[in-house]
Amino acid sequence: MTVKVLYFGRLKELSGSSEESVELRDGSVIEDLFSTCSAARPELLKFRASLVAAHNQEFAAWDTPLSPGDEVGFLPPVSGG
Amino acid sequence: MTAPYAHDRIEITRRPIPNAEIARQVRADDDGAVATFDGCVRNHSHDRATLYLEYEAYESMALAKMQEIAAHLHSTYAIDRVAMVHRLGRLEIGETSVFIAVSAPHRAAAFDACRYAIDTLKKTVPIWKKEFFADGAVWADGELPPIPAQTPTAKPASK
Repeated sequence: MTVKVLYFGRLKELSGSSEESVELRDGSVIEDLFSTCSAARPELLKFRASLVAAHNQEFAAWDTPLSPGDEVGFLPPVSGG
Repeated sequence: MTAPYAHDRIEITRRPIPNAEIARQVRADDDGAVATFDGCVRNHSHDRATLYLEYEAYESMALAKMQEIAAHLHSTYAIDRVAMVHRLGRLEIGETSVFIAVSAPHRAAAFDACRYAIDTLKKTVPIWKKEFFADGAVWADGELPPIPAQTPTAKPASK
């Protein structure tokens, strides 16, 4: 299945793009998606502990199951205001 | 998505925020109080002189989270109208990055709701700021939004 990944803030700078499509095995969860993304970009790994995932625009646990067409954002600590 | 309250104004913008206009808009004849919060760009951060800031957002989610905050204010406090406007892009020293206004018949609810709104926005709304100094730039230290403890039921992708 294909899901859409969005990067923000320092992750966007590191990954060099704000958005990509990623192909995953059926049954994958958000953690699997992050593993796939960071396999291609190992520099993402050191941010894993300081990220929150958003699944279809809601904060989500890392073991959330994914469906085709889902949108997942990897969000650094927020600093609006 | 439209705001559930017709007179609320929840926005993300790339233009200067019209603070005075927004403060006027939340005021109705039933109201005896308007509390406002003007978040503005400071000229220093951790003892370094700031040149300017750049804000970016996960816009659709940020707007939804701001609308959730407004809905919570209406269900929790005896208030009338809510305005919450956040600006993105490059902001100079002294410019307003976020402006919140809450009207209410009585001041306590307006103060409490306004305080809750900015405190919650800073914890849960996906917006990021980068601070530019004479000798470099850093992403501001932020807050990690609370993560749901358990796996929620999988939802279909939003179209």
